[in-house]
Amino acid sequence: MFRLNPLRLATFVLLVISLALYAGFGGFFAREIVAEIAILAVLAIALDVAAGFGGMVSLAHGAIMGVGAYVYALAGQNGMTPWPAAASGIAAAGLTGALIGVVTGRTQGVYFIMATLAFGQMIWALTFSADWLGGDNGLGGIMRPSLPFSDLTDPLSFALYAIAVIVIVFGLATLFLRSALGRTFEAVHENPQRAASLGLSLIRVRTIGFAASSALAGFAGVLAAQHMQFISPAMMVWTASGEVLVVLILGGIGTLVGPALGATVFVTLKYWSAGWTDHWHLIIGAVLIAVVLAGGHGIYGQFERWYRHAFG
Amino acid sequence: MTTFWILQTLNTLQYAALLFLIAAGLSVSFGLMGFVNLAHGALYMLGAFIGVTLSVQAGFWAALFLAPVTVGAIGLILYLGLLGRVARLGPMPQVLVSFGLVFIATEIVRILWGDVPLSIDIPSALRGRLDMLSVSYPLYRLFVIAIGAVVSLLLWLGVNRTGLGAALRASVENRTMARAIGIDTDRLFLWVFTLGAALAGLGGVVAAPITSASAGMAVSALVPALIVTVIGGMGSISGTAAGALVVAAIEVFGAAIWPAASSVLIYAALAAALIWRPQGLFKGAVSH
Repeated sequence: MFRLNPLRLATFVLLVISLALYAGFGGFFAREIVAEIAILAVLAIALDVAAGFGGMVSLAHGAIMGVGAYVYALAGQNGMTPWPAAASGIAAAGLTGALIGVVTGRTQGVYFIMATLAFGQMIWALTFSADWLGGDNGLGGIMRPSLPFSDLTDPLSFALYAIAVIVIVFGLATLFLRSALGRTFEAVHENPQRAASLGLSLIRVRTIGFAASSALAGFAGVLAAQHMQFISPAMMVWTASGEVLVVLILGGIGTLVGPALGATVFVTLKYWSAGWTDHWHLIIGAVLIAVVLAGGHGIYGQFERWYRHAFG
Repeated sequence: MTTFWILQTLNTLQYAALLFLIAAGLSVSFGLMGFVNLAHGALYMLGAFIGVTLSVQAGFWAALFLAPVTVGAIGLILYLGLLGRVARLGPMPQVLVSFGLVFIATEIVRILWGDVPLSIDIPSALRGRLDMLSVSYPLYRLFVIAIGAVVSLLLWLGVNRTGLGAALRASVENRTMARAIGIDTDRLFLWVFTLGAALAGLGGVVAAPITSASAGMAVSALVPALIVTVIGGMGSISGTAAGALVVAAIEVFGAAIWPAASSVLIYAALAAALIWRPQGLFKGAVSH
């Protein structure tokens, strides 16, 4: 079961405060970076729910996030106001996840990874070739929501709003994992035979878990659409999902804090290395291999182990 | 009308030949060790780029021979240094480490060869077109079909008619039992992996005059090869050949007959194969 122990909570709070301070005291560029970190962090937390706790390693989460973004944009084009449009986007992402979960629920391990690759690529190819979705060019002119006390067209307000979305998604993921449903989801992953002999329907539980994770990915999609105010099929292609998986592993899978930390490190590293090389994937590839060979605990997982060893 | 069908059939065979060369190594790695090597597409890409350089230095025919040897050696080193260790860790580490290698290989290619796609000149003996059965078809593409046919025949004979092939089949079927009767599965896998890498390299050189070599190849070649592997069933040469033909036919005829849906068809086929028969369409009743 997921435990939000003091170490995890403290790390998460510290991370959120640092991001807020960076956005507050940095310039325009810093605020854009914080928004980008938030989108990636939300998507990585969503993937952690499925992959870290349910063992469902998905290469479709980029596409599912894209569904959320496109539905948000389309709802806005058809006259819906931002908040109901956001709810529609999140619901559409969750529904997409439920459909993929139902169909792929029986496949395991590598076969599940490839089945999600297939469905993600189908969504990407359909979007890519659909003229009414803008095809390769994507959709522009997407609205940002409005809040009573702040103007979200201002970069600082939007960065703080994006950080708030991380907190909300982190909270929702924690609530889900601690609920009876979430515990069942983990149990089905930990010991499928025992769960089945207790009378649980494995496919139903896995589907619900995957749908929950997908709905959280929908938050990332809506946030991405609001941030860029423009969307294209590029966010849906399977390598984008692969990159989120890399972020998750880098930060520490199965910890919820790790993905947020991983996203921060990933985006920071990307912009830092952009100053002196355009081959930053070389660095990330090497770091990824090093992390896996070191045991695959990731930055936060390694830190937690070290902390327990030193103080536990 | 018949011209259309003959032409598209030849296109299918030519594409299937390339797919087979890429997918053969992937399929056997998968079947023998359960090892999903996402970096296999990167070996194909390296074959193309090394082929470009070698053909400038020493001509096409030398490149056709030396590029696969070089890529095979790279595969051998990668396996001994890194992938052999990872192969034992389970699917997640395999996927991640080989995905990391894709990143690294793509960047190395960009550093060494740049971002502009490079091509290989077709050798003078294979230029021109051949007229037959009322169609005129480029000679080089017929040469690609021939390479695919010869390699698949040789592999099939090697796997089904030699002692080493019998050991390989036994290891795919039941690795523990194969070890128990004295087959050194680790060493077998090392050589199979090297051969698979060399075949991917061969696919790269052969493809370069047609598609030209680009840094996007590592990723773009990988997905069709994975689909061939899944549809054909892991670890079987005839299954891989059949899978390559199916995937090539879907892509070629799909693009010609129903262009609007062609990009989706191939993924739909993969999804259908995974859900309907996860062991592969062409692997009959396999005992597991």
